[in-house]
This record gives sequence, C-alpha cells and structure tokens, in this order.
Amino acid sequence: MVTTSDTGPVQVEIFPGRFLMPETAQRLLNEIYMTGGVKRIMIQGPNLPRAVPYGPARGTPIEENRDLLIEVGDQALELRVKVGRIRLELEGEEDIPKVQAACERALPFSFSLKRGRFFRDVSTITDYAKYGRVIEDKRILGLIDPKAKKERDMAILSELDE
Amino acid sequence: MAYTPQYYPGNTSVGINRRKHMSGNLEKLRDIPEADIVSIMGHRAPGADYPSTHPPLKEMGEPDCPVRQLVEPTPGAAAGDRIRYSQFADSMYFAPSIPYWRSYWGAINCRGCDPGTLSGRQIIEARERDIEAYTKTQMDSEMTDVALCSMRGCTVHGHSLRLEENGMMFDMLARSEMGADGNVYYAKDQVGIPLDKKINVGKPMSEAEAKKRTTLFRADAIPFSGTVGARKPDEALEALHHMWELRSLWGYRPE
Repeated sequence: MVTTSDTGPVQVEIFPGRFLMPETAQRLLNEIYMTGGVKRIMIQGPNLPRAVPYGPARGTPIEENRDLLIEVGDQALELRVKVGRIRLELEGEEDIPKVQAACERALPFSFSLKRGRFFRDVSTITDYAKYGRVIEDKRILGLIDPKAKKERDMAILSELDE
Repeated sequence: MAYTPQYYPGNTSVGINRRKHMSGNLEKLRDIPEADIVSIMGHRAPGADYPSTHPPLKEMGEPDCPVRQLVEPTPGAAAGDRIRYSQFADSMYFAPSIPYWRSYWGAINCRGCDPGTLSGRQIIEARERDIEAYTKTQMDSEMTDVALCSMRGCTVHGHSLRLEENGMMFDMLARSEMGADGNVYYAKDQVGIPLDKKINVGKPMSEAEAKKRTTLFRADAIPFSGTVGARKPDEALEALHHMWELRSLWGYRPE
C-alpha cells in the first residue's frame, strides 16, 4: 500500500519495559506490519551468540540461542539478538497512533515510544565498505550492523495489499 | 559481647537490609543440596576428592611463628586445598544483594576469603572447601534471588539490562532458565559448560518482595536522599557526608 502522507517520513523507537521473547516480538512486529504505514524496521539488542565467545568454555555451543525464528508477514528471519529496541520508519505522522495502538495490543508491560532520527539516509564509510560505492536501494542504509550479512539478517517484506 | 557493631546507619528498609547482610543475620530461604552447588561452581565433580596444592599443614610442619600459633587455619587451608572462586552478578532491578554488600558480607563473615568487587559482578576466592561452604550459604540465604542474581564465572553482562519477560536477568550464555513450573533451573555451570542434569534452585521472589529485601538505593524506589518527595536525609547520608567532610575537606586543609 503506497500512501502519500502530508508530513514526510517519521522515525520512531519502541523501548519496551522488558526484553521481548521471540513470540512476543513476532506478535508485535506483525501487528505493526498490519498497520501498513511502515517503511523500515530495525531490531536492536544484546547479542545472542551461537557458541561461547571467550572464557574456559570457549567454543561450547549455546543451544538456547539457536533457531529463534520470527515470521513477519511472509518472511522468516532468525534472531541474532535479544529484542531490546525496535526502530521504525513510518510513512507519516498519522501512523504513530496506529503503532502506539499496535504496541498496546501486543505488549503486556509498559513501553515508551520515542520520535527521533535513527536511520541514516546518506551513505557513510561503513556503508561504502559493506556495499560498495553504488547503492541502489537507499533504504538499507543504517539497517544492519557492519558485521551482519544482508542475506541472513535482512528481509524485504512485501507491500500490504489493501 | 558487650558491644554489638552497628555496621550501617539509617532507618530505611535498605539500611536495615544492609545491616542484615553485613552482620550475617540472614534469613535462609531455600536449601540447595551441596552436590548441586559444587556442580554449578564447576571446579570439581561432586563427591570427588579435593585436589591440593600442598600437603596438610600438620604434616608439613610450620615455622615457629606466634601468629600461626594464634590463628586457627580454615578447614581448606589446613588440608592444603587449591584456591577457587564463585562469582555472582546481581541485577540492578532490586536484587537483594549488590556487589559491595556481598563483599562486605564476605569480608566480615567469612574467614580466609578474598572478595573482589566490580560494578557488574562480585567474586569471592577462597580455599576450595571453604568457598563451597560460603557459596552454599549465599545461595541458600535471602542474599540471592534466583532470578535476579546469577552465579556467573564469565560473560557476566546483564546486571544493568532490562529484565526478560519472565523476570530473569539477561544471560548471554543462557546458564539458567525459568521452567514451566515457575522454578529457576541452572542448565549450565558458572562458566557455561552444560550440566548433566538441570539443577532446581527454587522460585524467584516477587517484585514486591525483592524491593523489600534489596540493599540497593534507587531514585524510583527508596532514594538515598534528595529533594524529590521532600525526604529528610537519612542518617546514612549524614554519616557519609561526615566521612567526606573529615577526609576531603580536612585532608586537603583548605587554609
């Protein structure tokens, strides 16, 4: 659904009172996706490594951190992080109350919704190092950290038909 | 003894809890089997002999020293055990004990222990026999809430993070988990090596109970002082101010 809004794109951050389990994150993201006004979504949080990174047990696999799949819309992604903050770019200001309502439906605890600038729209040195000089789809800027892999950690959701 | 030390001033619940921790008059909340504590610590298999670094002191023969004659060695020292540790991370979200208060407890109540305090963790090192006893005391008492405090030997990150949905502190190595019955289970030992069977350490405290038992002053719970709510400065703050004044002002002699 392509909407033209009166105000330009708006970026918000959802900061829940607790870390989200994969099921709760999936529920929340689907609710947000269904509101229809979302351009970009980024999930940020502490790392969940697949194997112990250092210390006496270094290399031991961590089974609990594997296969944390969430399905948003028609795409499935494996979570590499514990869901701490969710950053969204919305089509316009009128979508903010919809996102607020979606959060209230999906989250059983308190949360705060902040407005600000969280995504880059201009390519920087790390983007050049990762993607090269020519970047066709500017929406990928600032969406994943430099070490992440585009195929594994990013998904493009189809537009909602309404 | 005619004189009982006060340990800590102040009349808030936090002050009272701090006194309880330092004096060692703690309530026992649970009884975790010794073998389980030893498994979680991960230094030796439960039931195995204690490896030693030197022969027992009686066999070794000590030099003729009046201090050695005065001081009774701890059981671990007398046997010649290795020195091993247990390290705890306590959540800032109203964990009962906090790093400095664990260290005070250790230094005041535990013989032969070396407590180390850091912002995100607190470690006690002692002879193996002794540290097992001290760790059991800590884990059984009200100092430890099984969801908000965790025995972590490495990758301690999590004390300042938000809690998970079930109230547990974040653990990158997923050492402990909340079972379906509401009990917390340790699936791995303190460094992350999986255990043979999960160890049930009991139910966590409710949020209200944690707030009652905590030794942590927080602005959104019981503040140390301040003008928010027009709270009269606690005796603890006056004592702290007094200490600061004597040390800083008079130490620097601003003439």
